[in-house]
Amino acid sequence: MKTALRLTLVLFVLCLSSLSAMAQEGGIVVRGNAGADPTAFDPLLTNETVTSDIQALIFPDLLSVDPATASIVNGPGPNALASGWELSEDGLTYTFSLRDDLYWTDGEQIDADDVMFVWDFIQSGAVPTHLSFVADEIANVEKIDNFTIAVSFDEVDCDAILSIGALEPYPSHIAPEDLTTMPDQEFNQNLYVSSGPYTFGEVRPAESISLLANPDYVDAELGYVNNDAFVLLNVPDLTVMVERFLAGELSIISGPQEARRAEIYAAEDEGRVQIYTYPGNSWDYLAFNLADPSNPQNAVDEDGNAIDQGMHPVFGSTEVGRDVRRALNMALDVDDIIERATFGEGTRMASHLVPASWAFDPTIEPVPSDPAAAAQMLTDAGWVNSDPDDPSSVRVCQGCATAEDGTEMRFVLNTNEENARRTAIITIAQESWDKIGVKAEIQTLEWGSYLEKLFTQTLDAYVIGWRNGYPDRPDATQLFTPASDVVGGCSNCMSYNNPEFTAINEQARTLPGCSIDERKALYAEAQRIIQADTPYIFMFVRNGFYAAGSEVNGFDPFPSQLLWNVDTWSISQ
Amino acid sequence: MTTFVIRRILQAIPTLFGISILVYAIMLATPGGPVAALTFSPTVTPQERAALAAQLGVNDPFHIQYLRWLLGDDWMRFDSDGDGVADTAYLIPLDADGDGEPEPPGTRRGILRGDFGSSFFHGKRHVIDVIFERLGATLELGVASLVVGLTIGIPVGVLAAVNRGGPFDNFTRIVSVIFNAFPVFWLGLILLLIFGGTGLGLLPMGNRCGLVLVGGCPPLYERLEYLVLPTFVIAAGFLAVYSRFMRASVLDVGTQDYIRTARAKGLSGRMVWFRHGLRNALIPIATLLGPSVTGVLSGAVVTENIFSWPGVGRLAVSSLQQRDYPTVMAIVMLASITTIIGYLLSDILYALIDPRIRLR
Repeated sequence: MKTALRLTLVLFVLCLSSLSAMAQEGGIVVRGNAGADPTAFDPLLTNETVTSDIQALIFPDLLSVDPATASIVNGPGPNALASGWELSEDGLTYTFSLRDDLYWTDGEQIDADDVMFVWDFIQSGAVPTHLSFVADEIANVEKIDNFTIAVSFDEVDCDAILSIGALEPYPSHIAPEDLTTMPDQEFNQNLYVSSGPYTFGEVRPAESISLLANPDYVDAELGYVNNDAFVLLNVPDLTVMVERFLAGELSIISGPQEARRAEIYAAEDEGRVQIYTYPGNSWDYLAFNLADPSNPQNAVDEDGNAIDQGMHPVFGSTEVGRDVRRALNMALDVDDIIERATFGEGTRMASHLVPASWAFDPTIEPVPSDPAAAAQMLTDAGWVNSDPDDPSSVRVCQGCATAEDGTEMRFVLNTNEENARRTAIITIAQESWDKIGVKAEIQTLEWGSYLEKLFTQTLDAYVIGWRNGYPDRPDATQLFTPASDVVGGCSNCMSYNNPEFTAINEQARTLPGCSIDERKALYAEAQRIIQADTPYIFMFVRNGFYAAGSEVNGFDPFPSQLLWNVDTWSISQ
Repeated sequence: MTTFVIRRILQAIPTLFGISILVYAIMLATPGGPVAALTFSPTVTPQERAALAAQLGVNDPFHIQYLRWLLGDDWMRFDSDGDGVADTAYLIPLDADGDGEPEPPGTRRGILRGDFGSSFFHGKRHVIDVIFERLGATLELGVASLVVGLTIGIPVGVLAAVNRGGPFDNFTRIVSVIFNAFPVFWLGLILLLIFGGTGLGLLPMGNRCGLVLVGGCPPLYERLEYLVLPTFVIAAGFLAVYSRFMRASVLDVGTQDYIRTARAKGLSGRMVWFRHGLRNALIPIATLLGPSVTGVLSGAVVTENIFSWPGVGRLAVSSLQQRDYPTVMAIVMLASITTIIGYLLSDILYALIDPRIRLR
């Protein structure tokens, strides 16, 4: 009997040890961070890129996103508090059911109060926050009970769910009574309460941030987090970052310099590296100022009345000079620019919507490159070569619609000097335009100076970029409507104002019933309008690029979602 | 000596004052500002940008901003009746952003009262806290570089002078020229490629220590390998300068009468050089100490970036790019004070080494 008991005990211990060996494969995931050092961590106070990456790994979301479709799911999902929602018949109120099985790491249950706190904080205006836009979009948030909240809007907004997603639960039980002191709280430097695959480990300023596997993470796909820790290692020099990745000091990197990607592809061929690329959500464009740069004006006054902004002597205004702008677009070979400025690591754009957007219409072709036709279009528009026998001689206005006769077709093309890709774009554009008599003087400015100058709306033309959010919101209100054309702080700094575009964009955003197909058709129309108006030369989206060493198990990204399954990753020794 | 030191410290005060005015003026004259960098997003409204500018005080005239930095703003806008709302203001308006509500009372005490202000970034923390958490790394690298530069450069210079025209002298001359000619960023990258993981794999490619999940870096002696490459990159310049200076100095001393006398007394060559020549030859080296301090600081800016070294140099660059005025000013003032101290130490060392020099 004793022998049998002993044998049973030994077998039990052996089973336990083999189970534990099966449990966690372990390893430390080391990600290279070439971005700026994170300066603060409180999710209500900062959304710096690096900080956001960390917050996503240690805090729960309110809503769940399907990484495969990049859409918000009406149902439960890993590390998301809401288990689903119901929309009222008038389309104005979303009622969310919240899960009751999520806890902060200090044992407090996550509930409706943690969402209500975020709403109250935003409304209080106690501290400037990147979430302040939510108060403009959401009418009210109401706590129904501990696990139910209702979010209401004044008007139907088909992107409402994206605004609601910003209300991510916050550990309200540790917040100070005086909200104005939140930036000074320890929580802003040490996220000692969290709830996600990882817990906050340690910050070594300008060097690394460590996150430790959370043993109590309830949504782990395997039942446990499969690695020991996640470290964000600061490597400010991009060249060095690639070297350290190839040397095996970093497990994963994202968005390395285009010029270095060939080496990483070569390492993939040797089986040392895994790569995932996709058309990204960061895009570069060349913008034309469509107002008089010598007398910058807001688009509308305080009462909403339109203000005369004049027109640019070369590019005209939204209504005038379309042919000139399209000709300037056609004079460029954007595919060649992609090849030369990004080593082919870009995907062509046709309009303001990125290929990853659900509203993107692939049937809309980019403006073709045809320098000969472009030259003829400029001539037809009243811009003729000063020397008829020399096609590269400067063009002058002879009956053009935007300037006095004799005005030369000259302007300044700006970008920020630190960005080699954009510097290459303006150099190539200058070369291309010079061949048909369009004289662009290129000028590069330091980033801070450049932004300030941009906000003054005194630039002629400029190259810069945007990065879209995730999931993508196709609404263009902030970029292409008069509401955001304000001198001193604009996102529509080139003063584009087409009432038809504004109306269609608004209609697509507020369409009763929010039919996806109908909205997609409206956005397609908006894309056609803006391409015809050509306030921008839409260049390309930079291809997203994730790379992991072959020792990383579980690497299976989706566009803009490198770490969606990081709790399953392990590192082979 | 004490009188000399006190006088030099007193002389440093107007120097620092002048530096602060000059740097502040240049900084504000530079186009661009922190507000644009902080708010370049379509979701930020012009009103929010204006409010942030008012809160940071970056739209105030130069003299107001400088006075705020120097003397604080707790006397510019304050609450006289204790109800928590600012009701009295000098030099600046009560309602800076024009929203009809007074701004909060000023809380800055100014640099003269030991308050270097709060960073516009870094979670609005006090800049001194931000700088001091990086200072250790920079000091570690700077001291190591100086020690390596001095302990190798001086003997090499002496040996080159003693063996003047010989193979060792020629070899060190060529190496010195090479070290002087190599840009720091290039040398750093090449050394990384040679000794790092993609090359020989002998040394780590960056950071101050290996992966540490909690508890901070281990003591220096347990992570010396991380110091090797960045130290060498900064020390290379010192090695070149010190060895050439030392060689020239020793050769110069060698022509002096007292050396000839020592030789005439029948002393061995070693005794002549190391007992009589070396101390005198070291005098010019002492004068290099002050410039070396600035050399360490400027070398650190590039080296820290390449080797992911978490020091003040990187902080200085990022603060300049972000227009983080309080941090930039604090770093400039600390660098100025360090430089002044370096030159002061040079003078004192000069007097200690050369008995003919008297500090007055």
